[in-house]
Amino acid sequence: MKKTSGFIKNIINNKVMLLMVLPGALWFLFFSYLPMMGAVIAFKEYRFSRDGFWASIIDSKWVGMDNFKFLFTTNDAYIITRNTLLYNGAFIVLGLILSVLMAIVLSEIVNKKLAKVYQTGMFLPYFLSWVVVGYFAFSFLSSERGMLNQVMEFMGMESVQWYSEKKYWPFILIFVYLWKAVGYNSVVYLAAIMGIDKSLYEAAMIDGASKFQQIRNITLPLLNPIITIMTLLAIGKIFYADFGLFYQVPRNSGTLYSVTNVIDTYVYQGLKTTGEIGMSTAAGLYQSVVGFVLVMTSNYIVRKYNKDSALF
Amino acid sequence: MGKKRKRFSLLLTSLMAFSLALTACGGGSNNAATGTGTNTGSSGNGAASEKPVELIWYTIGGPQKDLDKVMEEVNKYTKEKINVTVKMNMIDFGDYTQKMQVKVASGEPMDILFTSSWAFDYVQNARKGAFMELDSLLNEYGKGVVDTIDPAFLEGSKVDGHNYAVPANKELPAQEVWRFNKELLDKYKLDISGVKTMESLEPLLKTIKENEPGITPYAMVKDFMPILPFDYIIEKMPMAVYMDTKDYKIVNILESPELKSSLETVRKYYKAGYISPEVATTTSVDDLYKSSNWFMDRAATQPMADNLWSASYGYPVVSTPAGEPYIYNWSVMGSMQAISANSEYPEKAMEFLNLLNTDPVLRNMIDSGIEGVHYEKTGENTMKNLPESKNYDMPTFSLGNIMINYLNEGDPENKWEEFKKFNESGVNAPLLGFNFDTSKVTNEIAAVQNVKEEFWAPLMTGTVDPEEYLPKAIEKFKAAGLDAIIAEAQTQIDAWKAENNK
Repeated sequence: MKKTSGFIKNIINNKVMLLMVLPGALWFLFFSYLPMMGAVIAFKEYRFSRDGFWASIIDSKWVGMDNFKFLFTTNDAYIITRNTLLYNGAFIVLGLILSVLMAIVLSEIVNKKLAKVYQTGMFLPYFLSWVVVGYFAFSFLSSERGMLNQVMEFMGMESVQWYSEKKYWPFILIFVYLWKAVGYNSVVYLAAIMGIDKSLYEAAMIDGASKFQQIRNITLPLLNPIITIMTLLAIGKIFYADFGLFYQVPRNSGTLYSVTNVIDTYVYQGLKTTGEIGMSTAAGLYQSVVGFVLVMTSNYIVRKYNKDSALF
Repeated sequence: MGKKRKRFSLLLTSLMAFSLALTACGGGSNNAATGTGTNTGSSGNGAASEKPVELIWYTIGGPQKDLDKVMEEVNKYTKEKINVTVKMNMIDFGDYTQKMQVKVASGEPMDILFTSSWAFDYVQNARKGAFMELDSLLNEYGKGVVDTIDPAFLEGSKVDGHNYAVPANKELPAQEVWRFNKELLDKYKLDISGVKTMESLEPLLKTIKENEPGITPYAMVKDFMPILPFDYIIEKMPMAVYMDTKDYKIVNILESPELKSSLETVRKYYKAGYISPEVATTTSVDDLYKSSNWFMDRAATQPMADNLWSASYGYPVVSTPAGEPYIYNWSVMGSMQAISANSEYPEKAMEFLNLLNTDPVLRNMIDSGIEGVHYEKTGENTMKNLPESKNYDMPTFSLGNIMINYLNEGDPENKWEEFKKFNESGVNAPLLGFNFDTSKVTNEIAAVQNVKEEFWAPLMTGTVDPEEYLPKAIEKFKAAGLDAIIAEAQTQIDAWKAENNK
């Protein structure tokens, strides 16, 4: 009795808060928690039933871990895992450094109108689809009509078959990714910098601190929590490769596979003809479980050192 | 802390209660919907005066502006004939396979759907249970289909002894031809009568390369593969039997001398600059066709194809055979309409398909639109497109029997006779009627598919040196499990051979 009245009282007391949380909670419920039940397909050999989707799931045969096998049985398993991890690692580290750098530079520009122009210019690539970016890259790298080769020939250098020379591609991919992502991420940091109390800088200036000292001792420490959170979130996605980047930009060139094949493209190539839903679900589940474990571990480590910066 | 936790648990409980209520609702309305569905279904079958049945039809091709307008007319006609109306949904060529995979897997309501060997794979989806088995429906409601279309189509499209779709009556065998840009042939007075093999092209390509620097001598795309005397277990996978096989033994074509010598020729052409250096990533050469900056290529033909090509490019194109006309599994299954396994009106769907494949009025309406708006008749069996036809331009081959279509202006009168002759000229490929069941080797297929993507295009187009890369490819295919797939396929072929007394 006492418990129920406590429950209702609790609702009445917090009705505003609960109402505010409702849309977000519903969104997660519908688009994250309900679909999660579909993970069961990863352990089934999915066959269609005439009575619809749920009947198909229930009627399909259990196959245990069979659907996961294709991810681990071949030599390619090592290559795709390595590529995915290393590229994403590079994206996280370089993306962080460049974004923070850009944010600081933008915040220091005195002419605010110009700063806005730069910011928009950097922001723009984020909104382009990978297909478009792929063609941008092609206009530079095409061996017959590409700008890069024409410039190189003009300067008397040998032209390069860009789409079959794999040694250049780690750099090309990282460059293209950063070009597209840094502008967007720097906005997040820029917003945090704008939120820093100006009086701190004034006090530092009176004390005779140089620009560099101000950045080192005021901006960076105060950015620390948001940097940690952004990085933790990125680590959760470290097993997800950006399909568009690795498929569209190298134009799916076979000779480049050892440096461009990542988990997502591998799954796509392997299953696009057979269309086995069970196997693709298995791959997705594997990626999320590893991502989950990584987030929990890194969050645990962060919490050990600095409780305030941890996600939860 | 304690307070915080309490609040959190409150949130969780309210969420849970809410989700329960929601799922209950969802389930309820679902049941209700299917309930009424079956009701109208059974009553619809009862009497023709009842409300007409609406069939949901998914087919391939770019959505057309006047689709609804035409369907309105079609529905008037079909309602009167068989008490059926159709709701046609078109999905563009590039998206069809993926979108249909999702739609079928999630059980979206549909009655009729396009399937083939090259888009929304027929055999695999039949095995997964996407389509309704049609054997008895064909006998009962599809007599017209059985009588009209070439029996080889129905026979060749059986999966494990059953029909799951109605094939379109069209060209039956597949034959490859070398196509030439006639303007260039005439300019340099080149003779194509001696051309047959890849090797015999060399002098022609050389002339063009030396005299026409702006022209791509051989317009090749990354899908290219030399013509080899093999019938493949799975298209573009390196396992096949010889065309003249007697024992049906599967060979790894990468180890065959035929492939090796062909690849050396392609490599020679690539190095000589007859092929674009970017061929291994080129998916389309439409720009070359449009600008007529090409000299030759290879394509699949059909009767009177030269006229078609010349008309669509706007300049003359001629061709000469590059191979024999063979009837393959994939050529038989080039275009089919299946009835969905979850169709509520399979009988009506079959009646509709029957009418579509036998009734010239319906067939031409669906293909060319409304008479007087999109086309006009110029004779008993001939028609002319009107300007409005650009708003209703359908892929003819995908919709059904093409041999009851009215002839276009400029088509020779004996067009369909030529098709029939071509169909009779076809020789059965050894594996016609055998469909590999991949369900036991899905893991290996996924791995092999990746190896294929890595090596196929560079090797086949001559981008890399076969001397160096062929052994590498063979090794990697083996490591990915090609031998296991071959062994499984061999077991199935042996069983099939014994069953069919081959």
